[in-house]
Amino acid sequence: MSTIGHGGKELVERIMAPEEAARAIKGLTPVPIRGQIAREIIDLAYGFFTPLEGFMTRADVDRVCREMRLANGVLWPIPIVFDLSDQEISEKGIKEGEKILLTYQDKPMAILEVEEIYTYDKQEMALKVYGTTEEKHPGVARTYKYKDKFLGGKITLVNPPKINPPFGEFFFTPKQLRQKFAEKGWQRIVAHQTRNVPHTGHEWLMKGSWLQAHGELPVEKTLTGVLVNAIIGEKRKGDYIDEAIVLCHDVLRKAGYFREDVHLTSITLWDMRYAGPKEAVFHAILRTNLGLTHHMFGRDHAGVGTYYDPYDAHRIFDQIPESDLRIKPVRVLAWWYCPICAEVTYSGLCGHKAQSQNFSGTLIRSIIQDGVKPPRLIFRPEVFDLIMESAEKYGFGSAFVNDKYLAERNPVFTLPEMKG
Amino acid sequence: MSIVINIWINEERLAKLQKVGLADLAEEQLAGLKVLKVPCTEEQCEKVLKVFPTAKYDSATTKSIELLPREVKDKIFDKVVEKGSLDAMADFLKDY
Repeated sequence: MSTIGHGGKELVERIMAPEEAARAIKGLTPVPIRGQIAREIIDLAYGFFTPLEGFMTRADVDRVCREMRLANGVLWPIPIVFDLSDQEISEKGIKEGEKILLTYQDKPMAILEVEEIYTYDKQEMALKVYGTTEEKHPGVARTYKYKDKFLGGKITLVNPPKINPPFGEFFFTPKQLRQKFAEKGWQRIVAHQTRNVPHTGHEWLMKGSWLQAHGELPVEKTLTGVLVNAIIGEKRKGDYIDEAIVLCHDVLRKAGYFREDVHLTSITLWDMRYAGPKEAVFHAILRTNLGLTHHMFGRDHAGVGTYYDPYDAHRIFDQIPESDLRIKPVRVLAWWYCPICAEVTYSGLCGHKAQSQNFSGTLIRSIIQDGVKPPRLIFRPEVFDLIMESAEKYGFGSAFVNDKYLAERNPVFTLPEMKG
Repeated sequence: MSIVINIWINEERLAKLQKVGLADLAEEQLAGLKVLKVPCTEEQCEKVLKVFPTAKYDSATTKSIELLPREVKDKIFDKVVEKGSLDAMADFLKDY
């Protein structure tokens, strides 16, 4: 099993043994962090963000913004930064060259070795990463919300999180996932990025990508797999609840729409930036680290509004030398419903464009909100039933995020009490 | 392609349409679903998105305004039934 990640670097793992951790945190200044930073610490510590070992310093951020590369030249499209206000820095007496203890849920989480405290022009960052300075772009809004200063430096996880049900069975570190692929005998694995409950358009995107990725390999044994990698992060009102997204993807296999030996569901903790083409590159890097060989990119991947052309996220890979990425993009058009073909079919093959009917996750959400059960050709009944079950079990009666869910949901992960 | 609001026809809405003889206004979509496609001008679209912040204009795939609360769609639906026409958004938006 290879443990080489993005940039040709060994997968990063920065986790301290419990006894050592208990000693190491003694006397460190505690600094509370928010959810986004906690999720990114998990990603950094387990190697999802290899070769990053911590939050970026100014040199990294600057080159990422200007050239889509880290200071060491490795391809990287989105700044990974930790921000604090001047007041917090002053009150806590945080200085370069010192270590601080990052806390979450009122528990110790990670040690940050503060290498650099710096500023960066947020408008410049937004423009370079997102191609716009408009605050209605959610990635830009997130950038503008960063506090006065950024702190760069290595992090070490001192208190590994417990991933709570129902997510625990879907969380794999990059090394664990690679082990899983090896056990399954998969030589090629194609990623399906998702933050949606699957309709049959998604199902066919996955099946089509599997065929593309499998290519010339022999067919007697299963050598190719589909990895559903659901992005779990900050939620917005009206989104599907996280539990429904993950469980409904998994039920596609359990209900036989995918064979047991070709499909696996997993999660990654990440707050979507909606950076369109740049986020596509980021997703490719993330899935490289997970051990995948192919990544499917559909129409308007990670886009928002009309900021990006629907196929910008395909074209950006034309500008990246093959040697910079250890994963192959699989570019696909939409699948639509054709009443003439009487099936969900690939828009690149179907000749009935005038009669075709597009559908999206948003459209299906509207159908369900209107109290209508979509037909099985469009939406699998097992998925529909599981949405309703998830609504009762996890969503306080709603399959969609509302105020109550935001305030009272069971957290995706919990930091345990530290011993010692 | 013009902007529309899709009002998906559940049993309750179908019964209302049938009662006033307007069932033919609904189109068949997506392998057997029935939908009223209520047209919106760009100005009306902007106003709908402003008045109902959960709504989303799907510019990428379907060119439709989605995720309007069900009770709002019920009101638009009632306006369609009252007017006997899909051309109901101007009337509906007068109240907002």
